[in-house]
Amino acid sequence: MQLFIEQVLNGIGNGVVYGSVALALVLIFRTTGVLNFAQGEMALFSTYISWKLTETGLPVVGAIVISMLIAFVAGGVLQFTLIRPMEGRSQLNVVIVTLGLFLAINSLAQLFFGTDPQLMPSAFPSGGVDLFGGARIQKDTIGLIVVLLVECLALWVLLNKTKLGLKLRAVAADPVSARLHGIRAGWMLMFGWALAAMIGALAGSLVAAERTGFDATLMQIILVYALAAAALGGFDSIWGAVICGLIVGIADALTIQYVDALDGIEVVVPLGLILVVLIVSPNGLFGKRTVERV
Amino acid sequence: MRGHRTRAAAAALVALALLGSACSSRDDDDATTSGDESESEGAAESSIDTADCIDDPTVPIEGDTVKLVSSYPQSGATAAFAEIARGWESYFEKVNDEGGVEIAGESYQIEYEDMDDEYNPAETAANLDEMVPAGSDVFAVFSVVGTANNLAIRDQLGELCVPNVFAATGSPAWGNEDYPWTLGSSLSPYPLEGSMFASLLEDEKPDATVAMLVQDDDFGRAYEEGFAQAIEGTDIEVVKVERYQTGSADVSAQITSLADTDADAFFNGGTLLACPDALSRAKEAGWEPITWVSTTCTSQTLMGIAQDAGDGVYSAGNLKDPLNPDWDEDEAMVEYLDTVRQYRPEGFLETNAIVGYGYTQAAIFIEALEAAEEPTRLALMESVRNLEVSDAGLLLPGVTVSTSEGDPYFGETLQLLQYEFTGPDDRNHFVPTGDLVDFEGETVEVTPEDLING
Amino acid sequence: MATEQTGAATEPVLGVAPPDVMVAPAAAGTTPPLWPPVPRVVFIARVIIGVALSAAALYAPFYFQPTMNRVLSQAIYLAIAAMGLNLLLGFNGQVSIGHGAFYGVGAFTSAILMIDHGWSFEPTIIASALLTGVFGLLVGLPALRVRGLYLALVTLGLAVLFPRVAQKFVDGTGGRPLLRPSRKEFSSLIEGLADDQWVYFLSLAIMVVLFFLAWNLTRGRVGRAMVAVRDQELAASTVGVNLAGTKVATFAISAAYAGVAGSLSVMVDALADGTNPVLYFQRSIEFLVAMTIGGAATMLGPAVGALALVLLRRNTQDLIEGKEILAPAIYGASLIAFVFVLPEGVVGGVRRLLAWLGRRSSAKGRPPTHPIPDDSHDIGGPHERT
Repeated sequence: MQLFIEQVLNGIGNGVVYGSVALALVLIFRTTGVLNFAQGEMALFSTYISWKLTETGLPVVGAIVISMLIAFVAGGVLQFTLIRPMEGRSQLNVVIVTLGLFLAINSLAQLFFGTDPQLMPSAFPSGGVDLFGGARIQKDTIGLIVVLLVECLALWVLLNKTKLGLKLRAVAADPVSARLHGIRAGWMLMFGWALAAMIGALAGSLVAAERTGFDATLMQIILVYALAAAALGGFDSIWGAVICGLIVGIADALTIQYVDALDGIEVVVPLGLILVVLIVSPNGLFGKRTVERV
Repeated sequence: MRGHRTRAAAAALVALALLGSACSSRDDDDATTSGDESESEGAAESSIDTADCIDDPTVPIEGDTVKLVSSYPQSGATAAFAEIARGWESYFEKVNDEGGVEIAGESYQIEYEDMDDEYNPAETAANLDEMVPAGSDVFAVFSVVGTANNLAIRDQLGELCVPNVFAATGSPAWGNEDYPWTLGSSLSPYPLEGSMFASLLEDEKPDATVAMLVQDDDFGRAYEEGFAQAIEGTDIEVVKVERYQTGSADVSAQITSLADTDADAFFNGGTLLACPDALSRAKEAGWEPITWVSTTCTSQTLMGIAQDAGDGVYSAGNLKDPLNPDWDEDEAMVEYLDTVRQYRPEGFLETNAIVGYGYTQAAIFIEALEAAEEPTRLALMESVRNLEVSDAGLLLPGVTVSTSEGDPYFGETLQLLQYEFTGPDDRNHFVPTGDLVDFEGETVEVTPEDLING
Repeated sequence: MATEQTGAATEPVLGVAPPDVMVAPAAAGTTPPLWPPVPRVVFIARVIIGVALSAAALYAPFYFQPTMNRVLSQAIYLAIAAMGLNLLLGFNGQVSIGHGAFYGVGAFTSAILMIDHGWSFEPTIIASALLTGVFGLLVGLPALRVRGLYLALVTLGLAVLFPRVAQKFVDGTGGRPLLRPSRKEFSSLIEGLADDQWVYFLSLAIMVVLFFLAWNLTRGRVGRAMVAVRDQELAASTVGVNLAGTKVATFAISAAYAGVAGSLSVMVDALADGTNPVLYFQRSIEFLVAMTIGGAATMLGPAVGALALVLLRRNTQDLIEGKEILAPAIYGASLIAFVFVLPEGVVGGVRRLLAWLGRRSSAKGRPPTHPIPDDSHDIGGPHERT
């Protein structure tokens, strides 16, 4: 039983990671209608900035905050320079631009920050906390959970309880009629990217610290699981992304422990899960039904 | 209209096709050596069959340069491996500045060329096709990084009879006698690490239970099966093996599973970030076994990430560690640091073990060139296959890298190392403990046959 | 209450409908003319382009060195896979980022049949096509319910999964998922053709056949059904288009194209590789990129895009000596530049240019507002390539 609980905790540890990245994916999707393949790499770059700042002696929290602000600006700039000109064009063009960004950002990160793996200091105290049944949970995992919950709450309030959020969603749903209602759609889309980039920066910096070290491949595997979590959660639900991130993480950990036949191909489990869920409910567990008009 | 167009186009095409096949302009460049069947004197006593060679390996070098080519990742996820080349490049530059290398009484300059393969085997094969076509003046292929990458090129280089030497991987596959033109480097063959750990456990805890973490591929199998062979007939027992996906940097679930066995010993076969992660997770779980880490993990960067979780872990090696202050006054170490700082000054970590590894391979290679009887590919291969080198590059005192008839593995003498962590800002490093262990000729015994000859 | 319709944003994502391809839905009961009249200038330009391309394709292997011929052959297999994706995504509106997996299945099928079962190479292509077709069918079934972004992600999973499965179950060289049939198996069968030229021409011939089939498929009844499903799925079903059948069949055919591409890659690269966990995901992306920068829902697009992609990738690789690490950045930036300059791909751009020429040359030409007809088949007809 203790082993089971420990593996669930491992799963939660990873699940929070997947959830945080999925959150950024969902946010950009909800506010701009774009699936940003470069999300992970943007977060990676911001993580390197945080790390570099801590190297100069800045306290971790300060470094992360500065890096988030930089990411906010950079996200807006990227949207303005590269995504906005794609407006009105085929979605495929946007996909290619984000893929190009994916390649470019990763390579620039290696150029600026080197190819060797680095150690990102944690913003949380080290060590573990004993739970019932002898299981232990790491303090930085707890920290990550708390941050994620706060993030979700803040985003939920922003999107659902504020005028700004209403405008953001209106633009994402239908830029043309949003414009007719006097919403400055361009600004809203830019804001969406900036916000997602900022959340990515936070997620990346915390994830890198939770992991033992990081290098330019940090987001490669995480992005796949985060996409899985986002899809499972219905792609437009903030809570769905987080909850499904946890589901994916826990399923993965339990597979490693208990299903030896799937050693090395554990990724089958989240994928199978998505497939089944999507066949039963094509808009994910938490997604909204769409009504199709002919 | 359509029919008309089609016919016109077809006619034009036929004409063009004929034109095209008539002027095969490129044939001028295809200088294959076919028809040049000069029997050489050296071939008779060679252990390498040169009958089917596309290029005659007994033709001496023209001019006064030894031309080497290499392919290794320089961009993408594994770009960090490029630092190996910083080591060997600086050594070759130094040799050139000092007058070059002497083969059979003549002096030669070393010239090298490299291409980026992003660690992708198909790309490596394409690069080598491009750099080493039939009839090329490339003398040898040097220090190609990666097991799959070297496997992907050994056919084509074997058919051409171009030496592919000092492959930068510890796979036991380089002992396959079907591919006499491909050989490994001074990196010890992976299965020997299992033997080393087994002999350590025999001393420390002869009835140890062992948990293993290995990568889910041939690299992991070399560890798992090599160790299984090594503990045969002892009271040591493997109680659990967990595998992780190649490229994964998080092995928390695997470690929880292994820690649950509370084994006495832990064989950490993780590489790259999985290795320090395993150490940290084991520490978090409060599991304190006698731990072995893969020799691929003994780098300053990876162990630096593990921090205090790495304190006391064992591994093996045969090179001097630039981080170890004991070598600060050492002549070879001083020369190494001077050389890399002089010839490759741009920012990289000269204390990183893989730079020193590359440097040492170049030193051994130069000795092999000097020992060659004549400046031919065949003579080089003969020399590399019958080599005995000590005191080259950063080789530890007393370590001899040697190959001989029937034993194509170099790094079979190993020094047990233990990591000492004194503080996050210190020069933490591996400390040699105990005597050198000589496994000369034993690689074949502890390695599953199909990992060598498959 | 636009806010409640977030789902509406889900639909257009990746569900491409290139703006210039205004095929009248079959639902409306009208059949677009297969060969609409074209201004003389446009016609002549097309003939010139066609002849020049074909001539170049035939002459290239005699002009270039083996290294370049291998690159061109890579462009060809990439083009075949991109065409497969084009049928699925460009014409039928179903997304797949999993075609790298089909490509991988094709490659491993050929390699395993050759190494373990002694087959010669050519018949393995057919086996690959059949096997990947069946796989495509199996994936196409859930795709009936899962669509758009979700389908993209599920198929992405396939591409991520494939190398891991290969790693686990394929026992190639010394237990590694690396299969290398002997190069002699791919030797030239025609006197006077060097091996690399043979590889090129065999690939080219297969590409021509497959492009011809695709062309035939898309211009007929099936093609109209595919396009109708893409543009107006519900409407199409109400007028008797077999929705499920069309979608699943397209998936299967499309997968088979990727499988054939995989087979050819074994010949061109002389190996099937499962050692790199992200390789097949990269391939999936390359198919998508090749299709897009060439021109989605066009006939020549995949080929042009594949060639552009391969040349870009190759020429950015060792561009800056000492700064190889930047190669992906240059490659990525050039992809972005590509879509900025040619939003409808190369073929879209050329077509636009020709349309402009046509309007200028004939004063009594069609009014400028008239949509450019989907006559892409005209450029990419097989007659110019053989």
